[in-house]
Amino acid sequence: MLTLESVTYRYAGAPHPSLHEVSLQLHDGEVLGLVGASEAGKTTLCLVASGLAPRTVGGTLTGRLLLNGEDAAALPMHELAGRIGIAFASPATQLSGVAATVYEEVAFGPMNLGVPRPELIARTEEALAALRIEALADRDPARLSGGQQQLVAIAGLLALRPAHLVLDEPTAQLDPAGTAMVATALAALAANGASILIAEQKTGLLAGICTRVVALEAGRAVLDGVAAEILADPRLTRLGVAPPAAVRLRRQAGESNLPAAVLARLDEGLEAER
Amino acid sequence: MLTALAVILPALAGRILGRLLRTALLLTLPIAVSVLVVNLFFFPAGREILFQVGPIRATAEGLGFALETLARIGAISGAITLFYLTTPPSELVLDLEHRGISPRVAFVALASVQTIPALVERASTITAAQRARGLDTEGSVWRRLRGVLPLAGPVLLGSITEVEERTMALEARGFTRPGRRTLLWWPPDSSHQRLARWLLVLAVPLLVVARALGWLGWLG
Amino acid sequence: MTDLTLDGVTYRYARGGTLALDGIDLHVAAGERVALIGQNGSGKTTLVRHLNGLLRPTSGRVLHDGGDVASRTVAQLARAVGLAFQDPDRQIFAGSVASEVEFGPRNLGVRGGDLRTAVDDALAEVGLEAEARTNPYDLGASRRKLLALASVQAMATPVLVLDEPTTGQDLRGVEVVTRVIERAHAAGRTVIAISHDMGFVAASFDRVVVLGAGQVLLDGPPASVFAEPAWEMLRSTYLEPPLPAIIGARLGLGATPTDASLLAALTSAPGG
Repeated sequence: MLTLESVTYRYAGAPHPSLHEVSLQLHDGEVLGLVGASEAGKTTLCLVASGLAPRTVGGTLTGRLLLNGEDAAALPMHELAGRIGIAFASPATQLSGVAATVYEEVAFGPMNLGVPRPELIARTEEALAALRIEALADRDPARLSGGQQQLVAIAGLLALRPAHLVLDEPTAQLDPAGTAMVATALAALAANGASILIAEQKTGLLAGICTRVVALEAGRAVLDGVAAEILADPRLTRLGVAPPAAVRLRRQAGESNLPAAVLARLDEGLEAER
Repeated sequence: MLTALAVILPALAGRILGRLLRTALLLTLPIAVSVLVVNLFFFPAGREILFQVGPIRATAEGLGFALETLARIGAISGAITLFYLTTPPSELVLDLEHRGISPRVAFVALASVQTIPALVERASTITAAQRARGLDTEGSVWRRLRGVLPLAGPVLLGSITEVEERTMALEARGFTRPGRRTLLWWPPDSSHQRLARWLLVLAVPLLVVARALGWLGWLG
Repeated sequence: MTDLTLDGVTYRYARGGTLALDGIDLHVAAGERVALIGQNGSGKTTLVRHLNGLLRPTSGRVLHDGGDVASRTVAQLARAVGLAFQDPDRQIFAGSVASEVEFGPRNLGVRGGDLRTAVDDALAEVGLEAEARTNPYDLGASRRKLLALASVQAMATPVLVLDEPTTGQDLRGVEVVTRVIERAHAAGRTVIAISHDMGFVAASFDRVVVLGAGQVLLDGPPASVFAEPAWEMLRSTYLEPPLPAIIGARLGLGATPTDASLLAALTSAPGG
């Protein structure tokens, strides 16, 4: 279990903290969605949850990041790397840049951790299989599409066998095909019990895979609950978050004084589409 | 001459003699031309005049010296070219890492090759974006010079912010762990190769001694 | 106002490479709002770069108001067509928001009071008027994207081309972009946008052009491009129609690409 305990974080040189006393828990096997307006703190939260802030990024942190109750501050970065995998929006910057093939790219993480060779090979093949990209193993990562690169980046994280995955807007730069690829892969991982924290603007995607959702506003966690409830919460729009298309449609219908029978038909249609 | 043989024979074996000669020639052409011209016309110990161009005289001694120097330069550049043509940088770096250099040094060596195409691509997108805002890259030289800042700015700044993100991604994949890492593969080494390497290494002091003792003068 | 035509345009990036554009015949009249959709690699960015001369056709012609633009430079064509790139960081170079926005109109010869007005208006449109002196890199990524949009807006070109304007934007950001497009349209300007957001496309554009493998697959108003008969074609290029279109088809209500059209169809449907 990954816990943020009353975390307040300020970037180096920033006048105000980017996160204020945020507490949340990511249980094993849970998929937690993170929503909020731009600059509400989603990326910062992802950086803190993965240990990159304050370690690599600098800045000051008060409060604690706990991994199964153990304070992460006591652990060196490379050990955190083995326990929490983090993916960013831009696929290209996540590739190591030194791997000639996807296979080597995926193996990069465990190679760094000094995992013995037989296990290294086993983990790489497992990660490729988990994301169904075995066919890409011999390809040059630099020549893949954005969606494929993002899958390779996530496979690279999986090879580390982390207890938790943190994803910061992984589909932001992807086209619909790429987004679908990543969404399917994440849903499969979730179904297999992976523990995922995912920040996204695409609330429709979150509706499909999250068990819980947390909403941030100006660095504070203001909503935290079951995914379906939070994503249907009318306060989301005020927070600068676009609700999923189905929620938006249903809300508009509700506000247009349509007769009950008509609303029922709409609900039927929406339900069938889910 | 010995060097030349040492270069040409493997090149022949590797079927890259043509490429070798072309590349080596291209590399040495500028310096070859200057060596030839300078020594042909301005060699101080020159006595025997071959021909004259205005007040400048070409001497046989100068020509001889020029040719000797060119032969040496040719041999050296041939050797360097042979190395470059037969050794993929990634294999070299992996081999070095296998033999003990730090993985982080290896990474820097490999990554620096990769950054060039990425930088070129970035620079071309930035140029396109600025041209789309009216930056004149097809006009007078002065106009084009004025366009450097709107091009240099994003190239440099973007590269810096990208480096930050790349660093985070690397750290998140255990890059900072001290010590060696597991290698998937490294270039195989055979006993023949080891023998050849030892022979070559031993040959160097032997040749130096031989030269000093005045033997093998004709091979120099 | 400028009328755009692509006449039999093909484009190959390198000799012997694949055709990025394979025979595009497209006419955009002045004042239209056109959305260009298709998966990555379908040729959308390649196409829009032909509109301002950044790319020149391998064969075929690009016409502005019926005249071939082959002999005009990009700097000249930038007066007619303003193109906002997808990645703001490949464009932003100035030390302040205001000087960044100034760059475009200044290149077009705007000076003095007119320049100040152009900059102030553009900043106000995207909500950055308070940050005129701020360093662009002190803004978050999504506001930098709005800055890039403002920089092109300020050029007040008859044609405005936006490459994925809503990518990475939150609700407010999408609203800003939508309003910019509305205002440009009201002023008679042509707006062309590349987008992956089908909801945004259906709501803000009169015409949708679907590209696949360098060719135009579909071209028409959202109601027909997102109607059921077109779904097979859409799905073959990995696109999904917006939700209201799907629900409307499922309920047998005809073509309903937007929330509003679906609700209207529901209300007026017999037995509803």
